[in-house]
Amino acid sequence: MTELLSYAIPGIPFGCVFALMAIGLVLTYTTSGVFNLAFGAQAFVSGLAFVSLIADGWPRWAAAVLAIVVLGPAVGLALDRLLFRRVRTASPVVKLVPSLGLLIALPQLALIIAGSVPTIAPPALFLNAQHVYLHVDGVPVSGLELSIMLATAVVVAALLLLARLTPFGLRMRAVVESPRLVELSGINASRVGATAWVISSCFAGLAGVLLAPLYSQIDPQNYTVLLVWGIAAAVIARFESVPLALIGSLALGVGQQVLAGYLPPGVIASGLRPSLPFLVLLVFLPFGRRNRIEDPLAGCDPPPSTLVEDARRYRPASTLAVDGGRATQVVGVWHRALRAGSSESLAARALRRPTSVVAWTLAGLAVLSALTWVSADWLLTMTQGLAFGTVFVSLTLLTGMSGQISLCQAAFAGVGGFAAGQLATQMGWPVLVAGVAGGAAAALLGVIVALPTLRLAGLPLALATLAFALLADNVLFPVSWLGDGASGVRIPRPSVGPVRFTASRPFFLLALVLLAVSAGVVKRIGDGTTGRYLAAMRGSETAASSVGIDVHRLRIGVFAISAGIAGVGGALYGSLQGSLVPNDFNYQVSLVLLVVAAIVGLGSIGGAVVAGLVYTALQRAVATLPSRYAGLVAVLFGLATLSYTRHPEGIVDFLGGRFTELWGRLLAATRQAPRAGGAGVPGPGAEPEPAHGTVRP
Amino acid sequence: MTVEAAAAGTADTAPGTPVLEVDGLSAFYGHVRALFDVSFTVAPGASVALVGANGAGKSTVARVVTGLVPAGGGTVRIDGADVTGHPPWDIARRGVTHVTEGRSVFSSLTVEENLVLTFRAELGAAAVPAALERVFGTFPRLGERRGQSAGTLSGGEQRMLALARALGAPQRLLVVDELSFGLAPVIVEQVYAALDDVRADGCALLLIEQHVDRALRAADHVVVLRKGAVVAAGTPAELSASLDELVLGPGPAEAG
Repeated sequence: MTELLSYAIPGIPFGCVFALMAIGLVLTYTTSGVFNLAFGAQAFVSGLAFVSLIADGWPRWAAAVLAIVVLGPAVGLALDRLLFRRVRTASPVVKLVPSLGLLIALPQLALIIAGSVPTIAPPALFLNAQHVYLHVDGVPVSGLELSIMLATAVVVAALLLLARLTPFGLRMRAVVESPRLVELSGINASRVGATAWVISSCFAGLAGVLLAPLYSQIDPQNYTVLLVWGIAAAVIARFESVPLALIGSLALGVGQQVLAGYLPPGVIASGLRPSLPFLVLLVFLPFGRRNRIEDPLAGCDPPPSTLVEDARRYRPASTLAVDGGRATQVVGVWHRALRAGSSESLAARALRRPTSVVAWTLAGLAVLSALTWVSADWLLTMTQGLAFGTVFVSLTLLTGMSGQISLCQAAFAGVGGFAAGQLATQMGWPVLVAGVAGGAAAALLGVIVALPTLRLAGLPLALATLAFALLADNVLFPVSWLGDGASGVRIPRPSVGPVRFTASRPFFLLALVLLAVSAGVVKRIGDGTTGRYLAAMRGSETAASSVGIDVHRLRIGVFAISAGIAGVGGALYGSLQGSLVPNDFNYQVSLVLLVVAAIVGLGSIGGAVVAGLVYTALQRAVATLPSRYAGLVAVLFGLATLSYTRHPEGIVDFLGGRFTELWGRLLAATRQAPRAGGAGVPGPGAEPEPAHGTVRP
Repeated sequence: MTVEAAAAGTADTAPGTPVLEVDGLSAFYGHVRALFDVSFTVAPGASVALVGANGAGKSTVARVVTGLVPAGGGTVRIDGADVTGHPPWDIARRGVTHVTEGRSVFSSLTVEENLVLTFRAELGAAAVPAALERVFGTFPRLGERRGQSAGTLSGGEQRMLALARALGAPQRLLVVDELSFGLAPVIVEQVYAALDDVRADGCALLLIEQHVDRALRAADHVVVLRKGAVVAAGTPAELSASLDELVLGPGPAEAG
């Protein structure tokens, strides 16, 4: 009993901190519909501020007030105003990407601002951390543990009392059920939501401050782990129940410590503890929305757009229509054809041809430059870009075309790369064959991920894949026959008969060919019947299966192909670098990949290629800066999510659309028809389409 | 397609100013246009029925009036003040209550909490007990169930609870969507009786009803919508003869 307690009691403080995080997540999710993954980052910011202020000689209470009550809510409120308020009724990807971007960017930004991580041991919020205040059945309870338990108990009790007994709590509970119905009662629901956002930011800040002394130094990594445990607890709470979140968190916190205590040391013990959240997610996610009360006024919202398609297709026709003339007619035909649901009409192709001509010319020039005058290290960057482009293409298929959010794409790439390396070095397989086999291994893994997550979509699927990425980091990558821990795996460059790809320019061509093949596969899928099926599935899985599409088979297939392509990309990258270490493709890379893909463009293969190049080029550019700015790439991508909420179609498609529009205007100006006066001006500006004879051919 | 449907009512504060004035209204759900240039007015204390077939845009008119759906064009005025684009809570504070179609109560809150939520926002904390007393006097059934969660009430009781929100505070306009949907005829009559009480207090009504005959008996003006546009307006007496054709469009014979 004493042994059990000696493991369980140190678990309680962890459980308390998980609970604060989980309650923050549940509170914002129920009141504003946004599952704010950035809470992990907000917790880190508050924790860092607390420790830094104390290192600067501030008294503990003042540092705590500033970090928890001032900084936490300030950051949260700013994020709400700038980002999340705009995406409340958007599709799951559009809701998720900004919070992911911030999860990556905020800690790096904080580190750049702070300059350095304070070296002092983080202190407890109150009490003397080392002093033993009491014994439970002979097990000592330190001031650190006691302070965390007391602080958590007080704030959770305060929240429950607030929700049950105060007028504001009544409003908050009403907003959870239906913000619109609340508004019809004369209450400003978004103000209630913002207050709830502030409260949950305080929870995240407190979690951050309390977590700091549980580790010897403050490290962003620990906060992402905290976030993942908090997510697991929020899932146990079915995203809605604060008491369940508390109970679940305590169970997780105690459970992981007890497991660690009783299991024999080794891969199983060290791997099982971090993968506990994944197992919890898999077990509890299917019970997600069982008793959820539907908002009776949900029908008032326009249907959420299907990520890319609508943003691209329904650009306001009015800006074009005012020009009159031929371009107007062309665009009018274009819009009507697209709206009728047919594939792109001839007119649309005519209008978009110059855009693609320019794009292909640029691509050709880039290839030509790479093969002739580009310096060796920039050639390396470009080749890296092609390898990552291959991984991004796999996301285009999985997330862009099929609407399945994957936060474990880097895990697929890593497994592909490691398998290829092991086969090539240990078994002596030819490297190209090993690379393909690595892709196959990743595809198999894709099926393994797809099977237990078949019934998940949107946010739950994203969380399950994130948990899987962590599982891969902790279980798959360290084993000697795959990732081989920190030492990594050597992957030689391939040769086929007399042709050797060891030099950089031949390897560039090889990468180009592999990217082109992957892109070709994805394009064939997208243009064919399967592409229509995928589009249907993205719109609604229920509707797709009702017209006879085998959604489960389709999902397994698309996960397998996507994972396979990612695996080939990983092998390609490893072969380019000569070796691969687990950190090349850890879970953070998975997060960054999705964020970058979404910002640059998930909707098209061109977007994926550009994403690969931008991703590696930016990293190379920042590598020349002082080490303090190492996190700048992450910060840039995080800030780019600001533009993402305005242009969810991605930068590439946005610019392409702008170019097409400009060309349309140019066409209109040069071919000003004599009867230009007949071309109507659209009516009210808010009209998204010329509905009533505003455009007549 | 502007049709005036001004009703002769008892203008109390500002004579001549309608309590609701809808002018040239259009609305969209995503890319689908739901309303085309809808115009009508409701005089203070009047009772106007919006009738039309399924999908004619009746609920959309109600939602735009109370701010739930943004107007795509045109204006909405409450007591002469332009409220187009205002959030629903601001419109609600001007004395407009919207009993939406279907379930229009907070299922997870108790009956009393449902009422307190509204009354506190519209009357202030001090006036809540009196308003509760008044409502429970009118609907004793709700008083018996004040501690029960609203989701466990019957459909008719949920309707009563939704109406009770309007009864507790003096209102300018009550918008009721699909009043009789899913209710037993006996309950429908009780609910209409409650509406009479509301009107007796000087509150104007905008009724949306599929049960057209019943709506005509309760209304003193009728606005007919078809495919998102106003096709006719007038008193029930003027319109009752031709109403089927107005609602459903020309029959097969005329359409030929």
